[in-house]
Amino acid sequence: MTDAAPGDVRLHRLRKIEIVLLAEDLGLAEDLLKAAGVGGWTMIRDVAGMGHSGFHQGKTIFNDQTGLVMFVGVADEKTIADVARGLARLFEKRPGVTFLSDVEVMRSDYFAKAEKNLGDT
Amino acid sequence: MNMMPPLIAIDSLLSRTEVAGLVALAARAIPPLWPLESAIAVNPLAGLEDLPFADAVSRGASMFGARQSLPLGTWRSLHAAGRIDERALRDAAIQKLGGLYAALALIGPNVSRLDILMARLLTLHAPQADQPVAALSPDAAFISKWCAAFFDQTQAASPMPNRELGLYRATLAVCAYDAEYRELTGEAGQHLLLSVPRDPLEAAAEGLVAIGTPSGQEVSKLTEFVTRLPGWAGHIRWRSEKADREIAAASPAGMADLLALWLLLARAGAISPPAKSVGSCETSADLAASLGLAAPTAENLGETRYGHFAAIAAMGEDELGGIFQTATEWTYCNTLVPQLQSAARTIALGGTHDAQLVFCIDVRSEPFRRALEAQGRYETFGYAGFFGLPIALHRHGDLRRRRLLPVLLAPQHDLTEAPVFGRNREAASLLTRQAQARKTSHLFAAGKQGAATAFATAEATGALAGLLMAARTLAPRLVQRVERLLMPARAEAMTPSLARQDDAGKDAFTLEEKIGFGLALFKLTGLSAGTARLVALVGHAASAVNNPYAAALDCGACGGHPGGSNARVLSAILNDPAVRAGLAANGIAIPGETWFLAAEHNTTTDMVEIFDRHTVPESHLDDLASLARDLARAGQANRQRRASQLGRTADDLLIGAIHWGEVRPEWGLAGNAAFIVGSRALTKDLDLEGRAFLHSYDWQTDTDGTALTTILTAPMVVAQWINCQYLFSTIDNDRYGSGDKVTHNVVGGIGVLQGNGGDLRVGLPKQSLFTDDGTPFHVPQRLLTVVLAPFNVVEQVVESNDILGRLFGNGWVQLVVIDPLTGEALRWRQDSEFDGAPTRNTFPLEFTL
Repeated sequence: MTDAAPGDVRLHRLRKIEIVLLAEDLGLAEDLLKAAGVGGWTMIRDVAGMGHSGFHQGKTIFNDQTGLVMFVGVADEKTIADVARGLARLFEKRPGVTFLSDVEVMRSDYFAKAEKNLGDT
Repeated sequence: MNMMPPLIAIDSLLSRTEVAGLVALAARAIPPLWPLESAIAVNPLAGLEDLPFADAVSRGASMFGARQSLPLGTWRSLHAAGRIDERALRDAAIQKLGGLYAALALIGPNVSRLDILMARLLTLHAPQADQPVAALSPDAAFISKWCAAFFDQTQAASPMPNRELGLYRATLAVCAYDAEYRELTGEAGQHLLLSVPRDPLEAAAEGLVAIGTPSGQEVSKLTEFVTRLPGWAGHIRWRSEKADREIAAASPAGMADLLALWLLLARAGAISPPAKSVGSCETSADLAASLGLAAPTAENLGETRYGHFAAIAAMGEDELGGIFQTATEWTYCNTLVPQLQSAARTIALGGTHDAQLVFCIDVRSEPFRRALEAQGRYETFGYAGFFGLPIALHRHGDLRRRRLLPVLLAPQHDLTEAPVFGRNREAASLLTRQAQARKTSHLFAAGKQGAATAFATAEATGALAGLLMAARTLAPRLVQRVERLLMPARAEAMTPSLARQDDAGKDAFTLEEKIGFGLALFKLTGLSAGTARLVALVGHAASAVNNPYAAALDCGACGGHPGGSNARVLSAILNDPAVRAGLAANGIAIPGETWFLAAEHNTTTDMVEIFDRHTVPESHLDDLASLARDLARAGQANRQRRASQLGRTADDLLIGAIHWGEVRPEWGLAGNAAFIVGSRALTKDLDLEGRAFLHSYDWQTDTDGTALTTILTAPMVVAQWINCQYLFSTIDNDRYGSGDKVTHNVVGGIGVLQGNGGDLRVGLPKQSLFTDDGTPFHVPQRLLTVVLAPFNVVEQVVESNDILGRLFGNGWVQLVVIDPLTGEALRWRQDSEFDGAPTRNTFPLEFTL
């Protein structure tokens, strides 16, 4: 990880993972992120878009479990690679896509690995 | 049992994250199981909905050791009783044989394949297939025992220690002292207790390798374990995914915990073989003799004919039962759809109404609505019983909030209770009495469970308890009157409050949200702005005493709770002048003289409670009196109708609602068969026998299909869950249902067991599905959804929503669309009707059977 400092802002290089999958599989992605120790993530519900099996409708009013959701998580390289490894297993059985990319953040402590995660019950 | 494999050095190949993904995938094999206090109907095969229905049923049978259909003898009885049309049965048999040409192919002189199959269906003695073994294996019994102890909700006098460590670790901690564990796992088990990882994911990863799971087979192996105890696994899914955080935190457990325990036993060689499903049997000789055929051999019949004969002779009871089920579905469909087509061609709209009433879509509303409409100029509507409100209610004195919405949704608004306006004194009295009752109950429980006080408590209170028991048995109405005197009616003193829900003084809803809820009612039901003087929103609830499944009779759309609170909230919203102005700005200008009422239909007694009468304007009191009178008359008529179905008197139903020995207070949703989306004019003249969910809908005000999308992706999905729960609970009440109520044992406040141990029971009890002589009151058939709307709108809605493509395409729900202009009906074709051909864009197919 290399830090950069454009202007007065000190930036920290981390990795970002974006996951789009069926809303009914939301729990699967959450379990992976927790198990890998990702400290937090953004979840966007009612994602619409075009895919292999046609257009996916966005929002339905009375059902949170239809349509697509998107997760955005940021962590160090090893953690994100761990999530990707788990996702590869998941996508053998369930539909979904994931994108990995480099990002720069201002407050790296916000993305520190969670101490307590799935299984540490 | 103990094979004691040598302990090996484990090189874990899977990371924790990989295992987490695999565990989550395996967990999908079973649906969440809601606790008794909010029992929700679920499809026990929900995890298999990606498969065509028939394949899923077969797969489920192998996973759970279950039947795939009712016994052949039962189907024959239903056929003999006229429940299944003869022609529909022949048509189903013809379809099974691959069409008319194939069915009429001769096997012998004047004996066709169809004749042979019909003989197997109707006349040849029913095969005596092996019955599944119901006894719980020692490994499953061991895990069940510790699950029951771990998840206990304050019922046990001595709770399981170390629960904060999680199910897996807490169980590991007690295993060393458990003789059953030692007996089950022997020496190897003791060694493993010292060496297995304490983290359940790491333990699962290590366990999968240790038992030699081939790469790529991990999910199958884990699924095998998940499905061994679908009740406890379902409870864990509920805690992990659906329960409020504080509930899950009290006994932290994920599916990884359960699987780590299974793998611990597997590593110790303590796993018993899973239960087997019912097998098929051979009937060739009898079949040939019954039809006057020569001995069935390839030489006598010829190679091809013998092959055809043998295929029919080898059909198992489940396969034959599947034909009966199809025939049952066609019998119903062939009767209902032409009636609806005819009605669609002659729909007459308009007219003035004394009152309009919006009921829940629940099948029990339909006959009540019909009875009410017969009393006068009433127009009724069907809408999801939570009235579109994503709310949770914190009732005074309750430990936890009530989620008053379908389980498909998460609550977005938390409401509290407040005294009804002008009823502060009654509210204070109610809360005081409730607090006293709680204290007394706690004191009694403490005395009963205390080692030093148990006998003294029994001595001191035994006589009183005996008297109470006698009174409840011999004079339930007297007990009810006394209880009412002691405790004021809650609904008259307390109401859900829309204002000041938190310390910051923030209202429960913004004005925009309230307008949105109001608009949804009109848009989704087709209720027009020209409303009557009174519009009643009627939720529903049931009455059952001493019944663990009481919540299953309440409103499923309200999360297994009574629906009156939601009705009160929405009616208050719609009487708000600011909301009325907002609705008018959105094109819904409600007449100033319209007043919205809230009410609750008791489906056990057929009485309707009207809430907040004192807020009704004086100008509407005569209207209210007329409505109350006609509701009472409708209730009387419907109670009489239901009484005949239950083989009792109408008065007896009122006693059953308050009697602690009552095992069948009502038939609930038994018989559910259809989900009809259209205006009431479509169904008003039909007796749907309380078998149809009715969702009001006006295709003319929904040109882009938005409302239809909501109706099909939410209320219909809930209806499908209910339908599948009834279907599978009837087919195999031991595996998919919860068996006989008489031997139920409530455990930990969360579910029921049969007897004193084992898995949490899923599904419905026998008494909810079968008459006392064992005849199914609920005949298994898949939901038939009928939509009155233009074909292209429905097609676009289905194809834009994966869940609908799956349910209709895989045959979990049959869809028929009736064109509102021509009355023509088209059926959505199942994917499985094509031999591996592309599965989309198969609509329309003309509806002809």
